[in-house]
Amino acid sequence: MKLFTLKPSVPVLLFAAVFAAVSLSITNSYYQLMMTLVLVWAVFGLSWNLLSGYTGLISFGHAAFFGIGAYTTVLGQIYFDITPWLLIPMGALFGGLAGLLVGFPTFRLQGHYFALAMLAYPLAILYVFEWLGFQEVSLPIKRESPIAYMQFADGRVYTLLALVLLVGTALLTQYIERSRFGRALLAIKQNAAAAEAAGINTFAWKLRAITLSGAIASGIGAFYAIVLLVVTPQSVFGMLVSAQALTVAMFGGIGTVWGPIIGAVILIPLAEVLQAGLGSRLPGIQGVIFGLAIIAVVLIAPEGLFWKIRDVVRKRRPHAPVVVEAAETAGPVGAAAPAFERTPATGEVILEVRGLSRSFSGLNAVQEVSFQLQRNAILGIIGPNGAGKTTLFNLLNGFLRPDAGTVWLDGRDMTGRKPHELCEAGIGRTFQVMRPFLRMSVADNVIVGAFVRAKTDQEARQHAAAAIERVGLAAIADRLAAELTTKELRLMELARALASQPKVLLLDETLAGLGSQEAEEVVGVIRRLAAEGVTIAIIEHTMQTMVKLVDRFLVLDHGAVLVEGLPESVTRDPRVIEAYLGKKWAGHADH
Amino acid sequence: MAESDNPISRRTLLAGATLGLASWRLWAAQPAEIKVGLLVPLSGLYARPGNVMRHGAEMAIDHINAQGGVKALGGVRLGLSVIDCGDTTEKAKNAAQRMVAQQTDLVAAIGAYLSSFTLAVTEVTERASLPLLTLSYADSITDRGFKYVFQTSATAQAQAEQALPEIMKLAQAATGKRPQTVAIITDNTGASIASVKPMRERLLAANGLKLVVDETFTPPLADATSLVQKVRSARPDLLFFLPTVISDAKLVLEKMNEFGLGQGRIPTVSFGIAIAEPDMLQTVAPEFLQGVLTCVANWGFKGHEALIAEFKSRYKEPWMTQNAISTYGDMWVIKNALEAAGKADRASVATALRTMNGGPSKYYPGGEVRFDAKGRRVGAGMTVVQWQSGIPVTVMPPQLAMAQPVWPKK
Repeated sequence: MKLFTLKPSVPVLLFAAVFAAVSLSITNSYYQLMMTLVLVWAVFGLSWNLLSGYTGLISFGHAAFFGIGAYTTVLGQIYFDITPWLLIPMGALFGGLAGLLVGFPTFRLQGHYFALAMLAYPLAILYVFEWLGFQEVSLPIKRESPIAYMQFADGRVYTLLALVLLVGTALLTQYIERSRFGRALLAIKQNAAAAEAAGINTFAWKLRAITLSGAIASGIGAFYAIVLLVVTPQSVFGMLVSAQALTVAMFGGIGTVWGPIIGAVILIPLAEVLQAGLGSRLPGIQGVIFGLAIIAVVLIAPEGLFWKIRDVVRKRRPHAPVVVEAAETAGPVGAAAPAFERTPATGEVILEVRGLSRSFSGLNAVQEVSFQLQRNAILGIIGPNGAGKTTLFNLLNGFLRPDAGTVWLDGRDMTGRKPHELCEAGIGRTFQVMRPFLRMSVADNVIVGAFVRAKTDQEARQHAAAAIERVGLAAIADRLAAELTTKELRLMELARALASQPKVLLLDETLAGLGSQEAEEVVGVIRRLAAEGVTIAIIEHTMQTMVKLVDRFLVLDHGAVLVEGLPESVTRDPRVIEAYLGKKWAGHADH
Repeated sequence: MAESDNPISRRTLLAGATLGLASWRLWAAQPAEIKVGLLVPLSGLYARPGNVMRHGAEMAIDHINAQGGVKALGGVRLGLSVIDCGDTTEKAKNAAQRMVAQQTDLVAAIGAYLSSFTLAVTEVTERASLPLLTLSYADSITDRGFKYVFQTSATAQAQAEQALPEIMKLAQAATGKRPQTVAIITDNTGASIASVKPMRERLLAANGLKLVVDETFTPPLADATSLVQKVRSARPDLLFFLPTVISDAKLVLEKMNEFGLGQGRIPTVSFGIAIAEPDMLQTVAPEFLQGVLTCVANWGFKGHEALIAEFKSRYKEPWMTQNAISTYGDMWVIKNALEAAGKADRASVATALRTMNGGPSKYYPGGEVRFDAKGRRVGAGMTVVQWQSGIPVTVMPPQLAMAQPVWPKK
């Protein structure tokens, strides 16, 4: 069912071969320049895509890197007489450093705030360069040794050089896409919190992404200076430059190597043709048409042309009978579940919580909560809405830092650690609101969780496959998450948490939104996991299912522990009934 | 299908094509008109000045053709090929590449208004050996050792050097004493910085001026109060004010009036044409502009009266700016180069431009129609223009002045 069955690098090389052939056959220097510029903006789009396309952190400021590269080339040649052959890699190096410097403070910001902060960098640098007096800097012509200074009379050489940069960037992007790096970035894009919970050090990966992205943007900016010959702050640090990266990538498709390439191949010549054809007759109309074309495509294909085309192609192909098989193989878990025998809790404490408290501006969301979780036990955490159940989980897996209290995992104090550290230490969790990576297959979704324990990509794949097998989704491992039912998605999330081979699994309303039959099936899987030796804490509303599933109950109300004990006693406890149903019913508890 | 079955053989076709090509070549050898390129911004932020340049070029071509075209080539007519260079350096460069690649019959070109566009465009025309005349005045344009660029304006540095003594003379003649102190308010665009830099470095000192306020801002201004307040408290004898964006000019001039410094109470001198563009009148009241001086590379001056009148009636423009008059003059320079070359090819035209000795300049202030080794016009002067009753008129140098300069007396 995979779209590209052949090696992913093959289409890229094929594209490069065709592009080179077309370029070599063009003798008109203007068309040749267009060929070069298509590649320049495609590479710039790819650099943007590497950060923003894969992590979802939209950068409005990639011109910062682009401009640093461009100025490296002109200033390096003018003041130090260094050849662009060396200045382009140097520019990339500076761009990488700039990425690191920019990323370090800026990644503390989320979403729109990140985008806005990024917008500021090139604008600030623009003024610095104007202030330094670099308003218009031109590359000196080297009449004696043109080739040593990358100055060719034949424009085709520039196109071929740009093509080398494009192929390099595209293959690198594809390699990253398939590796742990790319999956980490995708996980961050879908849900940064979930990614942290899956053991991904989001800050470190984002920093790597912006460093690499900055290096590529700066490298192509350094090359662009050679083509443009005159560098002005506006032409390399300007708003339009940053926008160009966004435009080609968003038009062509975000989060794929083909997006920026498609975008550049269509938009750059289109803009020029309009400029050339209409610019002197109806000045300004070219901008209007260009804008309208982009708006139209964005309306028809909001995620870009590539994804739209892929969706159309996928719909045309009939689904293989996998669907039927899946239903059959996924079936047994539900029916057979009650038969599983479980080794009873050992009495050995694996997770111990002492006096845990957290308040939000005066509201005590969790106060003085203490409990112990024994190895192999299933602990049910219940309580009315707003009782602090999810907050408790967030404290346990590191999303929130406790104001007071300690968390001990396997005898180690893990209080206040970061989510990815806690995941590494053995705490896995799922979320009340599911955040599957819809465009990825089940296997790819699950593998995100596997990297934390796996040293190699191969090992990660094995862990993921094992986890999928354990929840009974092996038959539909290749399906896209977007095609799954709610139950299958819940199981997939479970598998993702399992892939990190946790000691303790925190399940947040895993049964929410399921029909009773489906809920039974998922409960069966949870039981089987417990039987296999996983310790589980589960938040749930539906008491009936829980009574059959858990060993002990922890009842929270107003952030504090109300009761802790065996299911039979807890369900009869008047305080529990009062918390759930109100005072009126509490009196009926024993009847 | 066998070849012999075809009634029209391949050879016949080939012969026909050759004949056609040959006759076309014959026709091409005697071109109906000689094309000159005009590469200026016609879209975006700089469309307005670009259009004014186009008007100047069109008028010149009409005049040249009406007077018998290029006589050395049997009276062949001049034709204009207009290319929009857009509003960014990249678009300008692309447009230049398109011009040299697709219009191989051009003998020369004129462009490209903004100096950063001209820098980029000439990188292309230089490599294509296409002579290009420009009114852009950044020194860097003719500092690169290029052979095919010809700068008709005095460079920014030369202008600054000439302007200050002229202003000092004017002030001394009017008030009886030399100004001692000066305030500078400038934006940070390329042209403004190029003008201010030599002043700060040496020209102010050389003219005995003390810099008491030195403010640089980034356009567009949101509020000019703090800038003008500094000027008010320093009370300089002169204010040098260099805006590029009209809204900035408006804000500062209006604030000057509000603070009682306007209308010449502190004589205000600008550099560049922004403050004398017709658009100014759409946002600034003429009385606020009264007396404001600006030093520009070229302006409609004495002897251009008929030309200015024709330009005004033909294009509904209120006056003739540097963009119109310089481009008009450029076209005549190219025409004269063609006469001298006697051949309609770019190499001959370039040679003719380099060796040209056209005598005193008619459409540019001062100097001759002759270019030095760098491509700069020899002896290029400048004009000082003053707002008088809602019109910026040339007031200096005296031999070009169309009105007497007015110097406010405190």
